[in-house]
Amino acid sequence: MRPPRDERALVRPHVVTGGRAHPSRNVFDLVTLVIAVSDRTTGLNPEQRRIVTLCRGGALSVAEIAGHLRLPVGVARVLLSDLMDSGHVTTRAPAPSARPPRLQLLQEVLDGLRARL
Amino acid sequence: MEQFLLAMATFCSVAGIAATAVLLTRERRATLRLRRQNTALRADLDARDQEVRHLAGTRLPELLESLHNPAVTVSGPLHDARRLGPVYEQGIDAAMELVAGSVERVRARADQSAKSALRGAMRSVQSLAGEQQLVLSNMQDRHDDPDTLSDLLRLDHMNAQLGRRAQATAVLCGSWPGQQRAASTLSDVVRGATSRIRDYLRVEVHSPVNAAVTARAVEPVVLTVAELLDNAARHSQPDTAVEVNVRNTHNGIAIMIDDAGVAMDTEEIQHATRLLSGERAADVHGLGDPPQVGFAVAGVLAARYGFTVSVDTRSPYGGVRAVVFLPSELLTDVPEEPRAPEAAAVASGAAQARRAPAEPPDFEAPLDPSAPTTAGGLPKRTRASAAGKAAPGPGGPPPETGGPPVRPARATAAGLGAWQRGTRSGRAAPPPDSERKDPRP
Repeated sequence: MRPPRDERALVRPHVVTGGRAHPSRNVFDLVTLVIAVSDRTTGLNPEQRRIVTLCRGGALSVAEIAGHLRLPVGVARVLLSDLMDSGHVTTRAPAPSARPPRLQLLQEVLDGLRARL
Repeated sequence: MEQFLLAMATFCSVAGIAATAVLLTRERRATLRLRRQNTALRADLDARDQEVRHLAGTRLPELLESLHNPAVTVSGPLHDARRLGPVYEQGIDAAMELVAGSVERVRARADQSAKSALRGAMRSVQSLAGEQQLVLSNMQDRHDDPDTLSDLLRLDHMNAQLGRRAQATAVLCGSWPGQQRAASTLSDVVRGATSRIRDYLRVEVHSPVNAAVTARAVEPVVLTVAELLDNAARHSQPDTAVEVNVRNTHNGIAIMIDDAGVAMDTEEIQHATRLLSGERAADVHGLGDPPQVGFAVAGVLAARYGFTVSVDTRSPYGGVRAVVFLPSELLTDVPEEPRAPEAAAVASGAAQARRAPAEPPDFEAPLDPSAPTTAGGLPKRTRASAAGKAAPGPGGPPPETGGPPVRPARATAAGLGAWQRGTRSGRAAPPPDSERKDPRP
């Protein structure tokens, strides 16, 4: 994962989450993609504001969000759960495992099979 | 003949009587003089005895007391110098000065040695707390289980308090606050201070001011605010909030800390103001038991770094309002965010074609060498567009990147794709506790 930090963060994670380590919902794993659905940032703490800004109009995985915020993934999960509860972000299913084969390739296979049979 | 002899005898006796009378008179005068002298000398002696008793019983104790407590005045001699004689008077003064001087010297030496011993001890505690914090940070990164993380957060919190106590004591003993930091926003400074106190959940931060503290003042200000927050939380009910407001002023910024606790009386305010002014060098002997370092540390740091701290106003909630005023010299512009999320998308977005929304995100997008990288040199991916982020057409040239890509895009794509496929297939056949597994690769 991330390399060890070389500097000590000024704001400690317990202040970021208010001491919570259990996310309110269990929907985030490392590769869950997160999209911001609201531009409102009032009432959010600075880290949550950054998440909304990062995910605004785009999708970013939980692991990447944690990396950008320089926070442990568990802490990012708590923040994301709160943001999801308040309707600021939503998740998107991970990308399909493989792209569908190209039409041209399928056509070639079909042609080849036809030629053999 | 007989008559002659009689006359002679009479004359002799008269002369003798006269001589005796004269002698007696002189003797009597001399006795009187001596008696007077004796009385005077006895009075002098009594005065000196009284003076010595006064010196030992009153003046020296008062002198010693006045060295601890400046409010005590030392009384003067009982008799004036004319009465006692200049030599005696000078002797007594010399003795007083000698005692005062030697007490001062002993105190200074004891203070010095106490300070240096304490400083050395606190420095090692401080550096251990720092190392422990690094270990805790790395553990927080590696352990994903909420229960473990919860314990790690609590340990981190305790460690932060431990570090703060050691740091405050070291500063009071003449040490520097220790840690070098980059310029940080006021909101981070206040929340950093909040991280280090016990009742951090009671602190409400309102900081609409968008400014940053210069690098060299970050740690002192954080420590000062932390001490004031700790005082505020300690001297108010556990169910009340401690409010922090940041205000712009015409030549600086004021951080106001309000508690809803007990107000200080006039004497306490005077004492606190004296400590906060930083005029008097902090004295490790006068901290009391348990030691009250908060205001003393704030005073030392304020004097050393050029900000001011005052606690002489009442908070609107009935408690104390502590104000930290940071002059413009200690402020700077808000540092740039480590990355601009929009920039990368805009830069590579121009020459890109749209994709169908169901397509996976931009695995084939070329890597932008200006994109941020991790400390290990790996590129950080910026977000992918939800509405189908543009990617270069199959035959189109990659956008101008100004240098060779860090890694071939296809290799990156293949790696990420394999990772995702692996995750998917792993999740397709889930063991019951797969959610709680340590996600370390």
